[in-house]
Amino acid sequence: MKELLLVSILLPSLAGIILLASAFADVLKKKSKKQLKAQAKKSQTPLHLFVGAILAVSAAVILYTAWSGEKSLTLFTLVDNISFRLSLDLLGSFFVTIVCIGWLAAGFYSFVYMSHEGGEKSFFGWFLMVFGVLVGLCFSGNLVTMYFFFELMTLTSMPLVLHNGSREAIMAALKYLFYSMCGAYGALFGIFFLFRYCSSLDFAAGGHLNMTLVSGHEGILLAAVFAMILGFGVKAGMLPMHAWLPTAHPVAPSPASAVLSAVIAKFGVFAIIRTVFYVVGPEFLKGTWVQYAWMTLALLTVFMGSMLAYREKVFKKRLAYSTVSQVSYVLYGLSVLTADGFTGALFHTMAHFFIKTGLFLTAGVFIFKFGYTKVEELRGLGKKMPILMWSYTFLALALIGIPPTGGFISKWYLAAGSLNSGINFFSWFGPVVLLLSALLTAGYLLPITINGFFPGGESEAEVKEEDPHLLMLLPIVILTTMAVLIGLLPNVFVDLISRITNAVLW
Amino acid sequence: MSEWFLLLVVLIPLVAAVLSPMLPFKKRNSRLFFLEAAVILNSILVFAVLLNRPDASLTVFRFTGNLSITLKLDGVGGLYAGLVAILWPLALLYSFEYMKHEHNEVSFFLFYVFTYGVTLGVAMAENILTMYFFFEMLSLITLPLVMHTRTREAVLASRTYLYYMLGGAAFAFIGMIFILTYGRTSSFVPGGVLDLTKLAGRENLIAIVFVLCFCGFSVKTAMWPFSSWLPKAGVAPTPVTALLHAVAVVNTGAFAALRVTYFSFGPELIRGTWAQKLLMGLIVFTIVYGCSRAVKETHFKRRLAWSTVSNLSYILFGIILLSQEGLTAACAHMVFHSFMKICAFFCAGAVIYKTGRNYIHELDGLGRKMPVVFITFTISSLALMAVPGLCGFISKWYLAKAAVLSENPMAYVGIVALLISALLTAIYMLTIVVRAFFPGKDFDYESIRDVQDPNWLMIVPLVIFVIVMFVFGLHSTPVVKLLEQIAAASVR
Amino acid sequence: MAFVQNLPFISIILSLFSGPLSSILSGKWAKRLNLAVITLIGAFSVLVLTFVLQTGEPFVYFMGHFPAPWGNEIRVGVLEAFMAVFFCVIMLLSMIGGSREREIEIEESKQNLYYIMVDLLLCSLLALIYTNDLFTAYVFVEINTISACGLIMIKQNGRTIEAATRYMIMSLLGSGMLLLGICFLYDLTGHLLMSNIKEQVQILAVTGQYHTPLFIALGLMAIGLAIKSALFPFHAWLPDAYGYSTVSSAAILSSLVSKGYIFLLVKIFYRVIGFNVVCDSKVINVLFVFGIIGMLMGSISAIKEKDIRRMIAFSSVAQIGYIYMGFGLGTEAAVVASVYHILSHAATKSLLFVAASGLTDASDGSGKFYDLTGAGYRNKIAGIAFTVGSLSMVGIPMFSGFISKLLFSQAAMGHDMKMLPTLIALAISTVLNAVYFMKTVITIYMPATGKVNMREGRVIPIKEQPVKAIALIFFIVLNILLGLSSEPVVNLIRIGLEMFD
Repeated sequence: MKELLLVSILLPSLAGIILLASAFADVLKKKSKKQLKAQAKKSQTPLHLFVGAILAVSAAVILYTAWSGEKSLTLFTLVDNISFRLSLDLLGSFFVTIVCIGWLAAGFYSFVYMSHEGGEKSFFGWFLMVFGVLVGLCFSGNLVTMYFFFELMTLTSMPLVLHNGSREAIMAALKYLFYSMCGAYGALFGIFFLFRYCSSLDFAAGGHLNMTLVSGHEGILLAAVFAMILGFGVKAGMLPMHAWLPTAHPVAPSPASAVLSAVIAKFGVFAIIRTVFYVVGPEFLKGTWVQYAWMTLALLTVFMGSMLAYREKVFKKRLAYSTVSQVSYVLYGLSVLTADGFTGALFHTMAHFFIKTGLFLTAGVFIFKFGYTKVEELRGLGKKMPILMWSYTFLALALIGIPPTGGFISKWYLAAGSLNSGINFFSWFGPVVLLLSALLTAGYLLPITINGFFPGGESEAEVKEEDPHLLMLLPIVILTTMAVLIGLLPNVFVDLISRITNAVLW
Repeated sequence: MSEWFLLLVVLIPLVAAVLSPMLPFKKRNSRLFFLEAAVILNSILVFAVLLNRPDASLTVFRFTGNLSITLKLDGVGGLYAGLVAILWPLALLYSFEYMKHEHNEVSFFLFYVFTYGVTLGVAMAENILTMYFFFEMLSLITLPLVMHTRTREAVLASRTYLYYMLGGAAFAFIGMIFILTYGRTSSFVPGGVLDLTKLAGRENLIAIVFVLCFCGFSVKTAMWPFSSWLPKAGVAPTPVTALLHAVAVVNTGAFAALRVTYFSFGPELIRGTWAQKLLMGLIVFTIVYGCSRAVKETHFKRRLAWSTVSNLSYILFGIILLSQEGLTAACAHMVFHSFMKICAFFCAGAVIYKTGRNYIHELDGLGRKMPVVFITFTISSLALMAVPGLCGFISKWYLAKAAVLSENPMAYVGIVALLISALLTAIYMLTIVVRAFFPGKDFDYESIRDVQDPNWLMIVPLVIFVIVMFVFGLHSTPVVKLLEQIAAASVR
Repeated sequence: MAFVQNLPFISIILSLFSGPLSSILSGKWAKRLNLAVITLIGAFSVLVLTFVLQTGEPFVYFMGHFPAPWGNEIRVGVLEAFMAVFFCVIMLLSMIGGSREREIEIEESKQNLYYIMVDLLLCSLLALIYTNDLFTAYVFVEINTISACGLIMIKQNGRTIEAATRYMIMSLLGSGMLLLGICFLYDLTGHLLMSNIKEQVQILAVTGQYHTPLFIALGLMAIGLAIKSALFPFHAWLPDAYGYSTVSSAAILSSLVSKGYIFLLVKIFYRVIGFNVVCDSKVINVLFVFGIIGMLMGSISAIKEKDIRRMIAFSSVAQIGYIYMGFGLGTEAAVVASVYHILSHAATKSLLFVAASGLTDASDGSGKFYDLTGAGYRNKIAGIAFTVGSLSMVGIPMFSGFISKLLFSQAAMGHDMKMLPTLIALAISTVLNAVYFMKTVITIYMPATGKVNMREGRVIPIKEQPVKAIALIFFIVLNILLGLSSEPVVNLIRIGLEMFD
């Protein structure tokens, strides 16, 4: 059933295209704004049913595909002798599962949330498109196919950023676009060289470097790989190209920022894993300047991200900065090139995904309900929305890495990986930075909890409990549960990840 | 087929063009129909000749003993002729509609169709003199098209145009004389014709002359520092800027540079000399320079023109890599860029035709009113940005591959330049797209209420171009195989 | 002796006597006589040319059957005969093309004087071409100068008189130097007949005697003729003389008179000194350098001009530079190129002058570019002719200018040192030519609408000036002929130059 790979990609994408076409047709009909609004209201329920059905069916198909064994499908020649190739391995399955969960959560959440933003049709259109593209990204079987989906990911996710059409959003979208393009082209630079010096660009654990060709050209090849790490790192918000992230994520509607921040940013990581561990091979990088530069950048980003988040006043921006910092945990874990580091990285990918999706969705609730965007406005909400505030607290703790949450496990592995790496300075300096950043994380997340439950000052009048709509609350709660659960029962997940790790590193 | 067909395909457009103002057509449409029929017929003939390529060459006219106007069709020439033959009927179709809002269309169509024949002449030139002959003719015959509107701006632009063109030809002339004097023959022979026994020990001279000649021909390709004519020439009616200043004229420069490099001087002689380094430096700089100017430019067509400046240097970059792979890539970009850029220009033209708007800040919101035009524009932008799946990616891939294979540090810089240029392309193209589709919350659509897509004469070419971009982007193997064969035959 | 061999002498005599004859005729009849004479001489020259081509060797005609050194000799080879034909054609076309202007610009009573001058000019040109005697050549150089002055000032306004005076002074300076050079040579060799001088000079060159005087003599003659043919930097007289005189004068002056001197210089190089000696001397380097500077400076001055006639005049300076540059290269091929350029430039420049007069006519007599806007539409044939001339000047293939450019650069290829300077100078000069000529072409094809303070031109249909139109068409055909089938012409020149020895 290898065609399922293609079906999984096309199903959501085509549904997205249909929605977009219909949205466009609405515009062309030259109706007045009032008519449009009325029509939108009328078609809301069928739309939600359609999107919900597509999401559910796709997710089912995708998950079935992903966990029913490895398979691959070669479609046609894309360029040169490189085919458009889809193939599935454990890493792909791992990521595609994350995508599915993220999309289901954010999708159902949006049914309520988007009713106040408007333009639902086009939002869901693009939303589904990105879904399909991301699935394609997970399933891509070689570097060029992956690059193809990577570019598409940028292009299709851009409309999510500029959804509300304000000037600020448009500028942010453009910034997002240009940074991403910059990164993509950096990566493309590397791909050109890898094509020359690898026997194949297909993904295979351990890589394909053709050492006879390489000998004598190590310098340029290292530069090329570094360009790819930097390039894909843009999506992951790695220094020095992180500036787009705090601009672009917050202006998007909250469910979109959730997936942008928690899922799409991870695909920078995914691409780096594919490049470094599946095409180049970690052996080639070990002990080179590229590794050190990569580690340095990752650590710097971890620290800088946290610092900036600490100083930030706008809640969603703060979360975005936090993403910058947290994704670089993952990158750091990868950069040490040890088994533990790799495991920690993947585990943190998962943990951070649950946490950050949850956090952004929570932020969305604040905006949806009260229009609060600034941190200082979030006072006394613990009484109003106890469930939400509690789940927020758990998410925050998980991000900080308090045992027994998921964040703790990942940090444990990251630190272990770093200490085992045998690189003198970094092996102990890395964990110190991680720890420092964890403190800062506590510093920027916990005050909201504290202010939420203990607003202080005047004793308030009776506050009505008004937790949000179930469709909004449920995803958050589930995500919180997962974030905690993976810390309580880490073995299931660590085992799975170790299988990937073992394939790649040992 | 008989080699006389070579002459025939050059002559049909010339004759049709000259006849068009003379024949007593009663209605506008019948004249246009006549021209379109002639052009389509000619294109069909071109393809017939391409498929049954005559081996013999045809000497049309002899200046002196060894100087003659001779036509012959070989691989590279065939490629260029085929490209031109595809584009001309479509562009003509488009211009029928477009020229409705310009004056003097009779003379416009005269020169427009005439240029077709001349361009084919360049493609089918057998020796350097023939090429030079058609090259000069092309400069002159397109001059009336540049100054078509006869405004002061157009006249100034056409002056600049002419100075650059004739100046370039003057320097190319040096190369031609050099080949005539020191070549074994003046014909184009793969691998070059220079007689090394006569030139032993004068490598520097070869390099100097090569640089002069290459630059001379590249003036038409708007290589820096000879690039400023191209944006200025944007005052011409859009069919001209689209077909001539994005394809026919400028590619002729690249084609001529290709000819002298691979068929007259010979890549072996130039590889590794300072001439290659110098030219590559200029070209790489142009790639970035053109894009940067495009980003700065606020006039729609001029922005596209600057983009052309940059993209044409991609072709030159492929050529100056002096390898079979480089040549393949150059040919690929020549073909693909033509489709991408002509499409983008036609979109700009459609906007001008429908709304009279020339500047980018005036394009707000038009995307929703002219969806076909702007969707095609978006696709051509993406293609120019080298998004995989569209043809721009293919040519960029081969260019970079050739550069990597050359193991020349300068070529590595070239790759970086290609990518920087792609990024800048994203900036200057997508800002337009975003403006057109997302004008902002408060945009008043009432101001452009009556704007709509143009009619089928304009839409059909656009759609065809888009289809071509996708087909080449997704299924490039056959065309690239063909190009590789051509390149292999051109590099011995 | 075949009768044909008498024809060169008869031609000279015919033109010489038709001058005085014209003085008693009315202007109209003088004109007719003049045209008839030119045509007749042209026909004679064609006969002579075919004769020489058939026999394949030059012949010498003793005047009065006295052999040298007592008598005077005429020597006719292929090149001489061909030049005579060509000069007659150009002169005829220039006279036809400028006839209307002459009638307007020259006083009725002085019309016949003009034809006297033209007859004398033709006579002197023919004599310069044919003579085998250096002193005779000098005499006719003077006659040439005088008649040229007459042609310049016949319009009789302040400017032309001033121009004529300037021309006179510079010309006389040139003739003086030429005379000095001839004296030196006479002193050294004891001969005035070209062939005899050459024998002696060759001996001197071999023995190395009198090296310096010989060098000085050559230098004096070369520079003298260079001044007379307006080589940069001695060109100051030229723009006024060509720019303000009547059209046919300008056409004749620029395409024939200066070319006559240059042709004399070629003869001196080949027939008097011997080309090998010339090439060994430094004189050619001087000519080369000034030729190149002239090519560039002439064009630069032309670019600055606001008046079409003066622009064309300055362009002549540049073109003369080409010719001297060819001499400066000092190879057989280069001289062929120079001689070809004499022809090509003669054909093109007269075309341009006549066409320009057509354009100014259509613009209320003003030659300013501003007023010329759109003139190409008003006088169609003149516009086309001017365009053709410009394209030829720029060196577009199919026109004569291209072939001269081609020949020059091919000749330059033979050189090590002078190759790149020549090629680059040619290229730059092409660009400069393009700048001013094509700018003019664009101007005349720009619609005149919306111009303020522009002189009001009028539309001149072809019917109104059929003669000029015919002349222009012939000029165009001549130009294209020279451009397309240059091979026979080049072969003629080559054979002719071989016959010089």
